[in-house]
Amino acid sequence: MKFINLFRDTRPLDWLVLILVTTVSVASLFVARATSAKASDLVTVEVKGKIVYRLSLSKDTEVDVKGPLGITHVVIKDRRVRVTQSPCPEKICVRQGWISRGAIVCVPNRVVVTVGTEIADRSVDAITG
Amino acid sequence: MQSQDNLRIAILSAFAIGLHVVERLIPSPVPWLRFGFANIVILLSLILYGFRVAVMITLIRVLVGSLLVGTFLGPGFLLSFSGGLVSTTAMYACLRVFRAAISAFGLSLIGAFFHNLTQLGVAYALFIRRLDAVLYLAPAILFLGIITGSINGVATLAIIKRLRES
Amino acid sequence: MKRLLLFTVSLLFIAFTLTACGSKRERLFKDSKVMMDTFVSITVVSKSEKKAREAMDAAFQELKRLEGLLDFYSPKSEISKINKGSGGVPVSVTPTTFSLINTALEVSKITDGAFDITLGVLNRRYDFFEKHHPTESEIKKLLPLVGYKKIVINPALRIVFLKKPGMMIDPGGITKGFAADRAIEVLKAKGIKAALVAVAGDIRAYGLKPDGTPWVVGIRDPRAKSADEVFATLKLTDMAVSTSGDYERYFIEKGVRYHHILDPETGMPARGVISVTVVGPKATYTDSLATAAFVKGLKEGMKMVEKNGYMAVVVDSSGRIYHSKGLEPMLELLKKHIEVRD
Repeated sequence: MKFINLFRDTRPLDWLVLILVTTVSVASLFVARATSAKASDLVTVEVKGKIVYRLSLSKDTEVDVKGPLGITHVVIKDRRVRVTQSPCPEKICVRQGWISRGAIVCVPNRVVVTVGTEIADRSVDAITG
Repeated sequence: MQSQDNLRIAILSAFAIGLHVVERLIPSPVPWLRFGFANIVILLSLILYGFRVAVMITLIRVLVGSLLVGTFLGPGFLLSFSGGLVSTTAMYACLRVFRAAISAFGLSLIGAFFHNLTQLGVAYALFIRRLDAVLYLAPAILFLGIITGSINGVATLAIIKRLRES
Repeated sequence: MKRLLLFTVSLLFIAFTLTACGSKRERLFKDSKVMMDTFVSITVVSKSEKKAREAMDAAFQELKRLEGLLDFYSPKSEISKINKGSGGVPVSVTPTTFSLINTALEVSKITDGAFDITLGVLNRRYDFFEKHHPTESEIKKLLPLVGYKKIVINPALRIVFLKKPGMMIDPGGITKGFAADRAIEVLKAKGIKAALVAVAGDIRAYGLKPDGTPWVVGIRDPRAKSADEVFATLKLTDMAVSTSGDYERYFIEKGVRYHHILDPETGMPARGVISVTVVGPKATYTDSLATAAFVKGLKEGMKMVEKNGYMAVVVDSSGRIYHSKGLEPMLELLKKHIEVRD
């Protein structure tokens, strides 16, 4: 009863805002879908924007990378990737768990693990050597 | 007036910091889910006492909160700082422009949305530099923002109602 | 009034996002796979995602087939069959394998033997994981098994025969470029108007990107830690590029760098330059010529590449960068010289 009363306190603009932010979120979903490459085996591990490892999703392995805070431990197993250890305070990257596409981002330790995509905003299309 | 404001700022900041620390103890099922209960306090002070008080509380909350949690001056701090400042300013701007046409519910959504958008933007500009990775995280974070923003908005509405009744 | 304004804005926003998704412009599609012991990535320009995916899948399939035929380390490959028949049995092979070996021999001739696929027997003696290299006496014993003139071919019957028992061909210095060329042929046959195929560092591109600009290929800094750091960029259309460097597979023992590019004359890693990039129409040739030029060294290597109508960028062991005159319109040097601390 009391809860319904609260609805009387809302204003039309509130609902417009709700529609607007939902639209933007849905739009971001489409944009994210469009930009992320699909069906690729390439796992890249970056620290501070530099690629440290290029790995294959189909080859089980474990690597350590050193970021500003310390060592982040990345595991590839059964065509999935996860961060198992990280020195960051919130451990968002660890809690994200296994992924088989998309990205794991650890902002404090500046580590980005991506599946399937090369750097999208790189100035060259390929590297020889 | 000035000292009254300062007292308010002190008490409300304490509330905000308390909520900020307490919400970290709640286990969240999704890694990026942050309730942002402190925004209830900031929103209340914005509506009741104005922009100056709200900004002060925001800054104190960010600073003391990061000192307590131990992320001071790290990337997390910068994200929290910029997110808090932009979200408070955005809420104030909406309140200023729409006044009675918008309630705490809409403002809370605006606050959460700009908080997340700013954090994503700053994370991209300063730390990640991978547009695809940031974009990949954006939908989940923005959707969670709508949920937590709604919850905080309803809570703020309830508190305001109580205050008005008493 | 304000409400109306906001409503209009939100409607416009939704309309905008919908049109942005629905339009049929030319776009880039990229796919990479682990193949031929390395990363292969294919980028195509197409208006339709379906067409792009189909073409890329067909190209990958062709690469898979090549891998089965040409893998030096797989006992089932035709290369292994040829090697097993050395000194005894002439082996009949598929047109693909035959054309690869034929081209390899042609390159051996135009490079006076600086490129030589018969180095297989010595390649096997280097282990870059275990940091092992053959001794001088071992090399001396094995060198008689090296030499492209000891390969006999019969084009009519598509027969390959290695004269001496124990000989081994390892086409590793040409297969990746060959594969890139083949993948490009497949994409062209599938009606793709522009594409870039990169089999590790062996790259071939044709056409232009959707924004009308040429493809940009970076040349890796031979002494940078990150595999992404480049010292120069090349703008390419309808061109191939390959790089041979002493940093790809190597180990350092007592201050000496042992790497995978062997001089067929000595059986030892070639010295003098640290990175050679060759640019020209076909990846089969850029790949093998880069290896040959690396072996020949700066002056001779450069001359040989240019004589055959290709162009080169060479980094010598002091870190100085040299390039063919013809490359100037497309080459951009990002570093003046390479820091070498060997």
